[in-house]
Parts: sequence; structure tokens; C-alpha cells
Amino acid sequence: MSDVMDNAITVSDVKIRYRMFKKISLLKTLLAPYKYKKTELFEAVKGVSFEVPKGQILGIVGKNGSGKSTLLKAIAGIFSPDEGKIDLHGHSVSLLSIGVGFQPKLSGRENIYLSGLLLGFNRDQINEKLDEIIEFSELGDFIDRPVKTYSSGMYSKLAFSITAILETEIMLIDEVLSVGDAKFKKKSYEKMRSLITNADRTVVIVSHSSETLSQLCDTILWLHEGEIKMQGSCDEVLPKYEEFMS
Amino acid sequence: MTKMRFFKDFKRFFNYVVFASKAELNSEVADSFLSWLWWFLDPLLYMLVYSFIAVVVFKSGVQYFPVFVFLGLNTWTFFSKTVKSSVKLVSAKKNIVTKVYVPKFMFVFEKIGVYGFKMIISNLLVVITMIGYKVPLTWRVLWIIPITIVLVVVTFGISTIIMHFGVFVEDLLNVITVVLQLGFYLSGIFYSIESIGKNIKGRVPDPYGTLLVKLNPMALLITDLRRVLLYGENPHWVMLIAWFVAGLLMSFVGVQIIYKFENSYVKVI
Repeated sequence: MSDVMDNAITVSDVKIRYRMFKKISLLKTLLAPYKYKKTELFEAVKGVSFEVPKGQILGIVGKNGSGKSTLLKAIAGIFSPDEGKIDLHGHSVSLLSIGVGFQPKLSGRENIYLSGLLLGFNRDQINEKLDEIIEFSELGDFIDRPVKTYSSGMYSKLAFSITAILETEIMLIDEVLSVGDAKFKKKSYEKMRSLITNADRTVVIVSHSSETLSQLCDTILWLHEGEIKMQGSCDEVLPKYEEFMS
Repeated sequence: MTKMRFFKDFKRFFNYVVFASKAELNSEVADSFLSWLWWFLDPLLYMLVYSFIAVVVFKSGVQYFPVFVFLGLNTWTFFSKTVKSSVKLVSAKKNIVTKVYVPKFMFVFEKIGVYGFKMIISNLLVVITMIGYKVPLTWRVLWIIPITIVLVVVTFGISTIIMHFGVFVEDLLNVITVVLQLGFYLSGIFYSIESIGKNIKGRVPDPYGTLLVKLNPMALLITDLRRVLLYGENPHWVMLIAWFVAGLLMSFVGVQIIYKFENSYVKVI
């Protein structure tokens, strides 16, 4: 019983389809209705169930288009499954690395507040972490300039700093990041490592790199064409996955 | 269920909405020097245009005409800009929508915040011209509060529904633009639909005038704002309450469909 209590993420029989909603045009529907007969159906995730105990680190592997990122977005609540259920047991969650999405006209500082508020933090909590975020991002004076003036490196540095320093209980990581220049890459990797290895934090990492996953993860989930092909410890799954992919 | 979730979400994301509205206004001000001056100049110049059309072309005179136009124009601008920006609102917020969960109707509140603030600023023109014309005030001025509440509720209801369909219907913006243009002429911005008091003759003959004021919420709200503020008359209470209820209903339906479908938005935009 206590096992069930301690789960941070419960995914039960989740199916996610890309289908029903295609853009329509009123004019075309009026003039050429016969062109709108069929909408294609594509099931990206086909009935996946698993659990992640609190504090665990789960790695998800699979080839391109196997439904990894779709599943991750569903866990983040960006879209809900068409069938099945995802239960985060009340934990806060964020998708690390890609940032929350910036408003290009606003300054970096304003975007820190916006991202923080969107992640469910309040003004005081953000104020507390503000200096740390700015320092970590290495943006200096640029923090008060509009984000549209940033280089792509600066952009991703800020995005990473925000989500890494405003910590949530569950962190979802899509592709272990290689952000910014060599120095920042090393720094962000170290930061992520310390975030991930925190015993209270539950982490799900999607990656292609077996090496990174075997270093960081407790268990591995192998998705293949929307279904679980294998699930187990790194030593069990990763060699088989490597073999399959080569 | 929906009601509970709505209030919970509203509370959780309220700070975001306030900050985002302020930031949007700030960036507009910072973008170009003195750009906030346009918040006054826009209504002022349009008022001159409509004065020309009404007084010179149609030879109609309305008491306190500039205030009369400002009230109509500012109210209409708030409504039409909020509605129009809702059509493509979800794809405009693509950056956010694809990366974090936000109840999408909060974006409508953000727009209401932005355009509501601009409406308040441009209504300073109303205050100034009212002082200039020495318009006599009655205690009925207080009725602008319930009228404004109805305005916000109706605008929110219509905008949420339109935002939802705007995600899936490519050419909705074309349709909405035309409908809003029609709405502009049918809301009596620079003419009076119905007769008010002794001084103002309605330009739309009955029964159409009465019907228009009843069926077009913007015509009703604009007419009633003028009645209470300029001419010391009561608003159309029954219709006001009816549109308040209708606005709440539309808001309820809008929030409901957004909750039901918002998770598919990401797959479309």
C-alpha cells in the first residue's frame, strides 16, 4: 500500500491521438464541402501505463516519433490524454530546458516574473530567486533589454536559468540540454545533475543518449511506436535498446 | 465542478494576468516615444471625423456632441479590440501554450486588462469635456458601475467563445472584422438610436430603434452610459439585467468549451 502512496506520477493506460481537429475554413466549407470528408487519425501514444515513485529518476528512450515528447507534454499538462489518466498526486511540475515561452517585446526581467507566475509561484517567491536567476543566466545588463534583442544562446540561457532555479517537485526534461557556450554547457549540466539527484525530486528525462541516461537514471522506459517495449533498470534496457537501434 | 475549477484557476493565475497586462502596456509605452499620447489622440481625432459626418453631412445636432461621441467610441473600442484580438489569441500565445498549462480564458482577461486600462485613460477625455460643457450631474452617474460590469461580462463571454472557434476556423478573422464593422454602425457611436429626453431625437425609426437597443448589447450599453452620465435619465434596467444574465451564460458556455477542448489547441496551432 505504501508503494501506491509514494508515487509521484501515475500514468494509467494513456492514449493520445492527433486527429479530430483540423483547421477548417468557413469559405471552403461553404464552397467545397466535399473536400472535408475524412480527418486522418494518428495515435502517438497507444495505451501506456507506468508509475514513478517519488524521488526517482526515470529515463525514456525511443526512436524519433515514438511518442516520447508527446507523453512528456501530457505529463506536464500541456495536453490531456484522449483516454486514460495521468495523476501527479498534487505535485508541481515543469518542463525543463525549453523554458516557459517568452514575450519578445518584454525585458528579460519581466519575462522571469511572467514565467514564474505561469509556473505557479507568487511574486515574493520570484523576488527571492530573482538575483540567483539573473546571475546564473550570465546576461548582465541584457536582463533589462527586450528578449527580442537576445541571441539564441542568451535566450536559452535565460530559459534554462528560470526553470532550473525556480524548482518544482517534478521536473520533466526533454533532451538533456546543451545550452549556450562550452562554459555554460558545463555549468548547466552540473546544475541539472544537482537538481536531478536531489532525493525529494522526481524526474523524467527524455533522451537519445544512452550514456547520459545510464549516468543519471534509476529506471528506463523504452517506447516504441507509442507502446512500451521494455521497462527496467539501465543495465537491462539500455544494451537491448542500443542493439535494436544499431 | 466547472465553477469551482474556474474560481480556483482564476485565483491561481490572477497575478499572472495583472502582470502580463501591465507588461504589455509598459512595452507599448516604451516601444516608441510618447506613444501613449495616441490613447488620447485616437478618440480625439475620430471624434472630429464623426463630428464632420454628423454635423456637416447629416446635419444632425446632439447636445454635448463631443462627449456623446467619446463615450460611444471608447466603449466600442474596448469591446471590439478585445473581441478582435481574441480570434487569434491562442496562436498569438503559442510560445506559452506549447510549454506550460494555462487556462486559456485567462488570456481574454489579459486583453480585458489592457484594453480596459486604455478605455479608462481615454475616458479622461469624457471627464474633461464634461467639465468644459458644464454638464449637470445627477446621482444617476453612479449607474455607470453596473453598466460597466455588464460591459465586461458581455465582452468576456463573447470573446471566450470566439477565441475557441478562432483556433479551428482559419478565416474567422475575416468574418469577425466584417461583423464588427456592422456592429459599429448599429451601435450608434456617432448618432443616437433612440430619443433621449427632449433634446435628442432618435435616428432609427421605431420599432427598429427599440429593437436595436434591445438586441445589440453594445447599443444598449452605450445608450445607457449616455443616459446616466449626460442626460440624467435611468438606464433600461430590464434589458441591462437581461444582458447581464446573457453575458454570464455566454461566459459559462465559453469557459466550459475552453476547458473541454483547450488541450487540443496545441495540436492545431
